[in-house]
Amino acid sequence: MKKMLPEAELARDERFVRSRIEDAFLDPRGARLADRYTGPAKMAADRPAAAERSRSLMHGIFVGEIQALEGAGRTCFDFDDDEAPFQLKLDMARQCWDESRHCEISIKLGEHMGSEIGEYGESTFLYAAACNPDPVLRLTGVNRALEGLAIDVFNSMKEFGESSSDPILTFCEDWMLADEVTHVKMGSDWLRRLTEKDPERRERALEFQRTVDKIFSLGGFRGESEENPIQLARRFRELAGFTDGEVDEIAEIARQAQAEAEAMSQAAQAAG
Amino acid sequence: MSTARAPFAPWDRRELPGLFPVEDSARRVGNYKWTEMRLFEVLGGWVATVPELDVKLVLGRHTYHHAWHAELWHKRLPELREMNPDRMTVPPNDAFVTFMDAVREPEAADETIEKLVGVYRVLIPRKIAAYTYHLNGTSPITDAPTIRSLKFALQDEFEDWRDGEMLLQSLIDTPEKVERAIRRQAELENLVLASGGISGPGSLGETAARTEVENGS
Repeated sequence: MKKMLPEAELARDERFVRSRIEDAFLDPRGARLADRYTGPAKMAADRPAAAERSRSLMHGIFVGEIQALEGAGRTCFDFDDDEAPFQLKLDMARQCWDESRHCEISIKLGEHMGSEIGEYGESTFLYAAACNPDPVLRLTGVNRALEGLAIDVFNSMKEFGESSSDPILTFCEDWMLADEVTHVKMGSDWLRRLTEKDPERRERALEFQRTVDKIFSLGGFRGESEENPIQLARRFRELAGFTDGEVDEIAEIARQAQAEAEAMSQAAQAAG
Repeated sequence: MSTARAPFAPWDRRELPGLFPVEDSARRVGNYKWTEMRLFEVLGGWVATVPELDVKLVLGRHTYHHAWHAELWHKRLPELREMNPDRMTVPPNDAFVTFMDAVREPEAADETIEKLVGVYRVLIPRKIAAYTYHLNGTSPITDAPTIRSLKFALQDEFEDWRDGEMLLQSLIDTPEKVERAIRRQAELENLVLASGGISGPGSLGETAARTEVENGS
């Protein structure tokens, strides 16, 4: 088997439909929908489309967990012993088990919420972040950016479960949140250990993380205002080892991403 | 009233002698660690290449089991006087490398049967056999820490073998697939036979047994 499996070769059964994230954001219908302002975008139980939005998000979590599982698995395989330390691979193997459980939880939660596998499209940009040929950059992109996003998503979903009086959703999201905090800590530890004597590589890794964080904030998906569906989970990010400065930086990246999305939307409207 | 009791309870029948001196046990443990590493790596790598969702999730879980076994063996090596565990983390011989390379070779999305047969019908049964031989043969007093790790590993191996075998039975649903599985198993059995097994010739004590017969003992 070859090292480094491209995103296009991810194996799926016939229920899965691959979609491109840029298609969703460049869809001209998006601007028209945004025009029909029906209230804040933040996940809330009293919104008319709350059930549909939460099902869609849960499916997104499910496919994200598959890709996180695949990414951690590939990190076990893609690097020789001299490229990635034994202990790092052990951590990634542990993450495989965690992500596998998260897939199981997400499938069952999806059924619980009334949706099914393949009901929504799958964008594979999460796995794309896990394809970096440098293990440090891969760990930073996946464990700090991707798993950091997972902290925000699970905390938002947990709060949504509380506000919609769904104890099963709240219970499961809380358990997954605990695992994600561990994964982010793992990423931060390995970033520090592997770049201790190589500040230039550390800076490259952090730059890669900023890029991935920006992608994950695309179109204002994540942020701290009422207009962001997913809220930045400051408290859990601190537990995972992010400094206040680092969380502020992610908040700023999210604000920029939202401003860019609004500008794109206005340009699309003017053109069309 | 005296509290003096026999140091061993009457039901404790453990004896001191074992088949393996320290060096032999360390050599085997080093071979185990090498094998577990190659196994967890490939299971992790395969997760992205199998389209069957249930197989994908089971492989994710098993990846960790074998990584944990590798860690158990890694920690045991310095206790067996091998202060540089990497030095002992080696395959038993080149033929075993050839076998493991063949086990790890399938990649295509339509080769799930070939992937699973290699691991669950050839490699894991060999591991169960070698671990059981070690468990039954080593000194239950002097080598008790190895026995404890072997028991933990074996529990996973039995359960993982059952998971893999059940997946295979559910995937092999035509006579053609039966043929594919048999062909794959035969090919790998020949390779592992040439290597002598997880610890090379003597993995199951055949060499020792043969020597005893030859010597008339």
